[in-house]
Amino acid sequence: MNKSIEKFLWGLLILALLVFPISFDNPYYEQLGSLVLLSAISASAWNLIGGYAGQVSVGNVVFFGAGAYMPLLFYHIWGISPLWGFPVGVVVSLVIAILIGIPTFRLSGHYFSMATIAVAELIRIVVSNWDFLGASVGLTGPAVSDRWSDLVFRSSMPYYYMFLFTLFVVLLVTYRIENSRFGYYLRAIKSGERAAKSLGVPVSRYKLYIFMISAVFTSLAGSLYAVKFGFIDPNSGFGLLISVNMIIIAALGGAGRLLGPLLGAIVLIPLQSETNSLFGGGGTGITYIINGAIIMLIACYEPGGLLNLWDRISAKYFSKGAPKDDA
Amino acid sequence: MNFLKNISIIGLFLLTFASVQSSYAADDVKIGLVYPLSGTSASVGKATVDACEIAAKIINEPTPGFEDLPLGAGKGLPGLGGAKLKLIPVDTQGNPGEGQAQTLRLITQEKVSSLLGAYHSAVAITTTAVAERYGVPFVIGDSVAANITERGFKWTFRVTPIASDFAQSYIQFLDELKKNGRTVNNIAIVFENTDYGVSVSGTVRNIAKQFGLNIVADLAYNANSADVSAQVLQLKDKKPDAVIFISYTADAILYAKTMKSLDYMPPVLIGDDAGFSDFAFINSVGNIAQGVVDRSAWVVGPKGSLSYKINELFKAKTGRDMDDTSARGMQAFFVLADAINRAGSTKPEAIQAALKSTNLKPEQLFMGYKGVKFDEKGQNILASTYLTQLIGNQYYTVYPTKGAEKTLVYPYKGWK
Amino acid sequence: MIFLQVLVSGLLIGAVYALFSSGLTLVWGMMNVINFAHGEFVMLGMYVAFVALTALHFGVTSFGVLAAILLFILGGVVYFILIRRVMRGPMLAQILATFGLLLVLRYSAFMAFGSDFVNLPEDILGPSLNWGGILLSAPKLVAGVTALVITIGMHLMLTKTMLGSKILAVAENPNAAMLMGIQPDRMQAIAWGISGASAGIAGALIATFYPISATVGESLGLIAFVVVTFGGFGSVPGAMLAGLLIGVIESLSAFYFGPVYQDVVVYALFVLVLWFRPQGLMGKKS
Repeated sequence: MNKSIEKFLWGLLILALLVFPISFDNPYYEQLGSLVLLSAISASAWNLIGGYAGQVSVGNVVFFGAGAYMPLLFYHIWGISPLWGFPVGVVVSLVIAILIGIPTFRLSGHYFSMATIAVAELIRIVVSNWDFLGASVGLTGPAVSDRWSDLVFRSSMPYYYMFLFTLFVVLLVTYRIENSRFGYYLRAIKSGERAAKSLGVPVSRYKLYIFMISAVFTSLAGSLYAVKFGFIDPNSGFGLLISVNMIIIAALGGAGRLLGPLLGAIVLIPLQSETNSLFGGGGTGITYIINGAIIMLIACYEPGGLLNLWDRISAKYFSKGAPKDDA
Repeated sequence: MNFLKNISIIGLFLLTFASVQSSYAADDVKIGLVYPLSGTSASVGKATVDACEIAAKIINEPTPGFEDLPLGAGKGLPGLGGAKLKLIPVDTQGNPGEGQAQTLRLITQEKVSSLLGAYHSAVAITTTAVAERYGVPFVIGDSVAANITERGFKWTFRVTPIASDFAQSYIQFLDELKKNGRTVNNIAIVFENTDYGVSVSGTVRNIAKQFGLNIVADLAYNANSADVSAQVLQLKDKKPDAVIFISYTADAILYAKTMKSLDYMPPVLIGDDAGFSDFAFINSVGNIAQGVVDRSAWVVGPKGSLSYKINELFKAKTGRDMDDTSARGMQAFFVLADAINRAGSTKPEAIQAALKSTNLKPEQLFMGYKGVKFDEKGQNILASTYLTQLIGNQYYTVYPTKGAEKTLVYPYKGWK
Repeated sequence: MIFLQVLVSGLLIGAVYALFSSGLTLVWGMMNVINFAHGEFVMLGMYVAFVALTALHFGVTSFGVLAAILLFILGGVVYFILIRRVMRGPMLAQILATFGLLLVLRYSAFMAFGSDFVNLPEDILGPSLNWGGILLSAPKLVAGVTALVITIGMHLMLTKTMLGSKILAVAENPNAAMLMGIQPDRMQAIAWGISGASAGIAGALIATFYPISATVGESLGLIAFVVVTFGGFGSVPGAMLAGLLIGVIESLSAFYFGPVYQDVVVYALFVLVLWFRPQGLMGKKS
């Protein structure tokens, strides 16, 4: 596509994201928008390890949980602002990433995925029995508060902009990596580890690095979730379903592509919410059937996600033959 | 193939942006019902919604036999000129985040006057927080974790007794048994490891210690386990005089079956509501769990009584007897409806004030509470529970002994 | 004495684990696909047994056979409609495909059967047997024996029969097998069918002592993964051994440390196995 058209579309996207909450005076849409952004952050973080490096981690929820527990823990025990928990969550997640990464990265494919599942479940069970962390009852944050540093806002708007800012940072980092040598190495690793190794790429080291970066942002997503919802327990913090959702969103939009996760979130979150609102009250579980069908469709027909689909459509209809050359 | 694929994806987009507009009569009073309608607790959530629908019908349309119930005349809400109640159930999926999102939708999109929920204590925590932020009354019929009313909230009102009330009942019951000459020195607590089991068992433990009972086995287990033989064997090994189970349905059934297959019967078996009062429990293992003691503020009661008539309506709608959890939900619904009626308006502040001044007498209720009156934390201080026992395929009250339907059968009979 | 009982109880449930995991390992080993929906196959087997017994008044032996047949068909159908398309693709697509299948199967069952628990009549296979003071639950005993029979049978079928060697040939090298006149598609479909059938029988047997609901697949599925990884992908005898081991470890940890820790011990062991011996007990080193 033409470079200037691309820039225009980018500008449009950024503008749309910025003014979205102001244009509708509707708390429900604001909330929805916040949720979309939050999911986009964790999915984009997952995208780094799963999409770009091709290591399908099903246990990223571990970082989410660590990030989510820290702010509420700080509030719960010392009554101080949850903000202090953010960096601590990041540090804890980094440590976990290193502890998991070093032994498991020499395992390939399925084994790595299974290992991440095992570690995630192990940590979830340990947390549910650890009284300091609230055991299975969980931790609550402030419900109403006077201090802005408690991050309790009645409207969803401040949260929205916090999330937007974080998303911007993740995407910026992803973009920089994508276009650097690091990114080149990751693509090599994704297409064939053995080949990459024989070419001299320090495979294990780079897998670990990208895993750590993924952990940092997933942790931030968790912290943001905790301050928005004001509650965390082992299931909402460490449940495997959260990890799976990250994967689905990233894959739906396009794993390994910069805007894939965001697109996936924009499509899937309102869809999930709408189907639950439309059908959920009936209690037939049809929301899940629809979700499942969608996921199967994507897996079968377009595993590259919607972005891939778009590429194919635009190649057929817009380029009229040979792809245009960008200056 | 391509066409099919494209159509499916376009269909998805359209579905995303479609929205449904429902139309209600202008003067309907809307109440949001926040319950799990999918997932492992769906049967309880659905039963409660069914119960509330029956309650709404009794209030909205004349139904013979219910004139004694507040608003039972069937003419809608007289305080609002006969306005009818409209229920809007949502599915929390048992998930605190989803529950919060749906509650927000009920408040801001559906513009409900008030809310009722939520079964899961974790969901109750987040949903009441939203209601608190927006200043909408939220009535809790069934969630028992203590911390729900410990946050200084002004818009949360809990009608049901809580964990510490149940623990008090159990231990006092055991103490009375002891005073009547039975051996009750050692007890065991078996509880499932989520907020429900942990909070109830915590209170049981504390009160047991106060009464000088010795806890010989304190077994936390993971809900939905595939096998509980080890736990039952531990009980068999430690031989407690009474076992208190705090479990959801699937585990309750599994324990009953495992106890039979391992031939273990404690002298007294107490099952804390949830799993044990579930219709599925009675239906599948009732015949091998004869004599299990449960807590319930609800009993079907003798023929012709208010509770019996309500049960008949419930049976007609769902095909089975009403259970304690949905009954508590229904009672809370009546409390809320009564408050809205006294408020004479759907303004949140008016309903809040009306709830605060609630003072219902036991004759106006169909549950065994001593009345309904909220303290400054929003907790009903007159909430109380019976202890019931499974005899045949029904639970009958056995404690407090005064006014009980039947005398306690001791020891636990199981399958004998 | 009680130690023996704990041990025996562990072995019995372990045999059941082995039974429903053997199908999963076959598929995993054969075509490197993780079937996240395996737990749902077992769940469907449970419902088939329930419907067969209550509505169709089948006898005790036949409901297991019916479950096997129906789930065999389902396995084959799933292969043709879904798996075939994603098998050769990126692992991400496979994970998504079977996860989507999980949701559709689980919630279709939820829609069809409702949210209430259902049960088979108590003691349908008879009361517990007393063997010198040790109590053996009859359904678990039957499940255990069946597991043994099926595992051995599957192993023999794979190694000693013509069909088995065809299946293994396809697993090892589909192209070479095609050159030999074997149709990989058909063999793989049969493998999926067998996987489904064993899950179906397992479900039917488990239904005799475990409450049935649409969400049962969640816990059972996870157990199957642990067993299969422990035993080694692709090794049916490995799954048997691993199942028994895990059953015993769970039982002993629950009794001596506390029921909550049984999962901790199993997962910790799981993680250790992945660290030090990723190919599991009897899998091939890759």
